[in-house]
Amino acid sequence: MEERLAEAAEERPRGVRRLWPLAVLLIALVVAAAGLFSWSRAAHDDSIALAKTRDAVLIAATSHIETLNSLDYRHVDAGLAKWAAVTTGTLHDQVTQVSSDERKLLADQKKVSTGKVVDAAVFSLDGDSATVVASVEVTVQDDTKADATPTVKRNRFSADLVDVHGKWLVENLQQVAVDIS
Amino acid sequence: MMRWLAMTAAVVLLAVGAFGFVRDHQLRDTDATRNHALVDATATSQVQSQVSQALVKVLSYDYADPTPTQQAAAKLLAGDARKQYDTLFTTLQQKAPGQQLVLTAEVQSAAVKTLTDSTATLLVFLDQSSQRATDKQASVSAAQLQVDAAKVGGSWRITGLKPL
Repeated sequence: MEERLAEAAEERPRGVRRLWPLAVLLIALVVAAAGLFSWSRAAHDDSIALAKTRDAVLIAATSHIETLNSLDYRHVDAGLAKWAAVTTGTLHDQVTQVSSDERKLLADQKKVSTGKVVDAAVFSLDGDSATVVASVEVTVQDDTKADATPTVKRNRFSADLVDVHGKWLVENLQQVAVDIS
Repeated sequence: MMRWLAMTAAVVLLAVGAFGFVRDHQLRDTDATRNHALVDATATSQVQSQVSQALVKVLSYDYADPTPTQQAAAKLLAGDARKQYDTLFTTLQQKAPGQQLVLTAEVQSAAVKTLTDSTATLLVFLDQSSQRATDKQASVSAAQLQVDAAKVGGSWRITGLKPL
């Protein structure tokens, strides 16, 4: 009886020695699975996707709002083509339907407007549509007056954007007027 | 031989696991994900409404009873915003009684630009009307404000106020 116990005691270390590579392998397997699982979860995390979309919308809106507040009388057609490229829906239709008379009028007014977004923020974001508010500084150079200094105005804008095949385009752009009595 | 194989497999698996964790961290720890604006809808609307209410309180003023404005400022403003406001309020206190000045503020829109657990920046469009009882003159103005806010003891306070 005592001899058998002694044998068993000697056998255990040998058994453990045979098992530990398997244990290490198991632990490594668990680590690999956990790592892949958390990567996959992050890749499919809605809040990460939403944060990225929000930032993409803000970048697109900032650029588009500046485009839509800029026009050079020497390049009216090119300017309006840029407007058309960043708009969609009714606004896009309005931009593309500017008649040749109106184009000529814009050229004759001899004004160079340059829009610059001073600050902007995404107000709301819902799937494929978003509203962005922006504080815009518009500088207008009037070339009908030889030595006129440009006028600078600060405007409040609200822009509605929609995702059209992966591109955020402006559907509506409006000034936020004073609404207090 | 078996031990060799097992060890190699273990090293490969550990590397795969480590790579997964690194990618997970890379995806989660970006400027975009550190900003909770709109992503955390509840926190976003909370800071929106608290900052809007605070602005209305501190930017509305009645010469006949300036105390509520002063009390609101003491409670809702902190840091630089507090200092700026104190200068403004002092000038107002000197002019207002003579002109019988009443200022009313209304927030048109408050958009949250950045949001963390304890800080936020907002772009606020605010309308302000001023009425002078002395000459019955009233004027309205459209303001654009860059607002910094900090969460202190569960509620948001304005720490920076910059007209654009």
